[in-house]
Amino acid sequence: MTGAAAEALAALPDLVRAHILLSCAALAIAIAAGLPLAFWAAGHPRARVPLLAAVGLVQTIPSLALLALFYPLLLMVDRATSLALPALGFLPSLIALSLYALLPIVRNGVAAREGLDPAVLEAADGVGMTRRQRLLLVELPLGAPVLLAGIRTAAVWTIGAATLATTVGQPSLGNLIFSGLQTENWVRVLVGCAAAALLAIVADALLALIESGLARLSAVRTFAGLGLLAAALIASQIHWAPRQDRPLAVIGAKNFSEQYILAAAIADRLAAAGYRTEIREDLGSAIAYRALAAGDIDVYVDYGGTLWTNVLARSDNPPAPILRAELARRLARRDGVGVLGPLGFENAYALAMRRDRAERLHVRSIEDLSAAAPQLHFASDIEFLSRPEWRSVAAAYRLQFAGSRSYSPTFMYRAVADGSADVISAFSSDGRIAALDLVTLADPRRALPSYEALLLVSPRRAQDAAFLAALRPLVGAVPIGRMRQANLMVDRDRDKKSPAEAARWLLPPSPPRPAPAPRTPVSAPRPAPPDIPAAS
Amino acid sequence: MTGAPLLELDGITKRHGARAALDGVSLAVAAGSFVALVGPSGSGKTTLLKTINRLIEPDQGSVRLLGSDIRDTPPPALRRRIGYVFQGIGLFPHMNVGENIAMALRLAGADRPARQARVLELLDLVGLPRDFAGRRPNALSGGQAQRVGLARALAARPPLMLMDEPFGALDPVTRDALGRACRALHDALGVTTLMVTHDMTEALLLADRIVVLIDGRIRADASPAELMRGGGDEAVRGLVDVPRRQAERLAALEGRA
Repeated sequence: MTGAAAEALAALPDLVRAHILLSCAALAIAIAAGLPLAFWAAGHPRARVPLLAAVGLVQTIPSLALLALFYPLLLMVDRATSLALPALGFLPSLIALSLYALLPIVRNGVAAREGLDPAVLEAADGVGMTRRQRLLLVELPLGAPVLLAGIRTAAVWTIGAATLATTVGQPSLGNLIFSGLQTENWVRVLVGCAAAALLAIVADALLALIESGLARLSAVRTFAGLGLLAAALIASQIHWAPRQDRPLAVIGAKNFSEQYILAAAIADRLAAAGYRTEIREDLGSAIAYRALAAGDIDVYVDYGGTLWTNVLARSDNPPAPILRAELARRLARRDGVGVLGPLGFENAYALAMRRDRAERLHVRSIEDLSAAAPQLHFASDIEFLSRPEWRSVAAAYRLQFAGSRSYSPTFMYRAVADGSADVISAFSSDGRIAALDLVTLADPRRALPSYEALLLVSPRRAQDAAFLAALRPLVGAVPIGRMRQANLMVDRDRDKKSPAEAARWLLPPSPPRPAPAPRTPVSAPRPAPPDIPAAS
Repeated sequence: MTGAPLLELDGITKRHGARAALDGVSLAVAAGSFVALVGPSGSGKTTLLKTINRLIEPDQGSVRLLGSDIRDTPPPALRRRIGYVFQGIGLFPHMNVGENIAMALRLAGADRPARQARVLELLDLVGLPRDFAGRRPNALSGGQAQRVGLARALAARPPLMLMDEPFGALDPVTRDALGRACRALHDALGVTTLMVTHDMTEALLLADRIVVLIDGRIRADASPAELMRGGGDEAVRGLVDVPRRQAERLAALEGRA
């Protein structure tokens, strides 16, 4: 897996830089807000209990949920005020992580202040210090070791939790972890985890050095720690690669292999057209569309039926061309979003079963399933059961399963393969349908809409002729068979490819534009697309 | 009594709930005098002392220092003109002895050479070797620490010294030595000293004037000699009788030896 390792390592510097910047900013805000709060609360016993309860309460919210919560909150603020707040990416991550880091800082701050010898404080007053002098000359220096212990805890938490910022579109080391988990590319997961752990260990060690310097009143240790910390921060933020001033294009991707592959393919096209590209991956369905409408991302691939039911809240089910035309008209009018065109394949939700099981139960369509369902277990991806499509299918066929569970897509396929689920909500473009010998069930009542993959562009890019021209070759260029194979390349266990490799196989990039400075590429020419046998 | 009073307390009252810790205490202290405030635990003597440097604000009454009401001066500025020594000592543990002693000067904006010179002078005054300036407080014995506390209080040449059980936590030998050193400094520097103690012997031996507080009221205000002659009411005589009987028993022991 040297290819995967090399690819993960190549992505590492940018992700580390973004990760450190986010963690540091969050920690700085938490310190700036937490220390005054703590010292104020130490002097106001009545405020202390509610304050500690409040920061403790934040801590009980799972960090992933806290991050996700700020997306709609910022959108609301954005709508209610005229502030143009970015609801995705850095800002929500920053707020959530800062809040998360408050608890150890405030708690240790209060403890530091309360642990001070009352005689020393009386002496400080008696000698004629003002409150400010007492704070700076006595309380902070004496409380520093305990304060710093809190900051250390906060730093380690923040660096760990910052990996979750990926889910709200902020690049971090979580990019490697989440995409690696999704595609079972364990090298990526390991590289991401190891890098995050290493960052946390280094930060903790440097802060420990400062802490011991303060505790032992050793200026050498204190300043050595501070100096090393500052040097590490500055070094991490230097762009070692020459700064590129090409325009930036941000590509969105939801959280499954096909999306990663298509995002990589789009990035290849845009890079060839002279753009600097950035992929924001692992976005939830609703977040991805809103981010596009808000201009936080420039382009991504979504599916006709998803937009129809979730974004436009429609429950009827017109044929594909009408649905597409209607979508293009309504999304443009409502949000200014442009529908550039269909990629050429459909990724519909489809109920699927193992072939042997389906044959034994004589199930060919969802119609047949309704009688057998009460004895069967259903496994779905994480969103399906809360989507309108499920309500529509369940109502149309009166489906009542014996039980149902949600999995991430990878594990959902595992569940049906090993028999712990009988029916799953499969994706019709998924290579694993053929690989695992699943059958998709017919939908005679047309309860599930068409899920043509569509290229969507943000309102600003919808007016950008050069941008649209760079992407237009993708329209109609991806037949379903090729998409399934590309998906399988990423999802299978043996001879696994990375999404970027699969993207290059699926849509070999056009030769890059002649560069302004003549410079021969040092790297070997790209390998020819491997000849993949059709999944069977 | 010579000269105008340096310190005047007028009708000081302080209540803790229904109980009055101080009940209309009035007192004038002449410049240069050494006054001991004596009384049993809970008699209000520490509270009275702390109203003078505004560590405690009284409910009623006023305090005048050098003729002006102390409420006209912000507490930090007031406290820089009053030396304060207390049983807890409260040396700043993250600073060395020299930095501790020089704190009042640093707050007043004195430059480093002036501070260093004054630190050496003060170490001489309180009878500590000069090389103690570089030591940490945790390397000092209790008596040495309180000598540093005394030096810190004297650093800015305050006209008034407030001492709250300054030797309360020391062993008897150190206590005696430090008490005498304190009195000698008082005389040499011409300051005015107000010292809280519950030890009548100490008060009788060090002070010019003894004010006895019981239940928040002044029950006696006299010179040590007057008290030894039996001044004051029964409770006051009870306080003075303790050291007197101890002295008699010690003398008897000596006569027998």
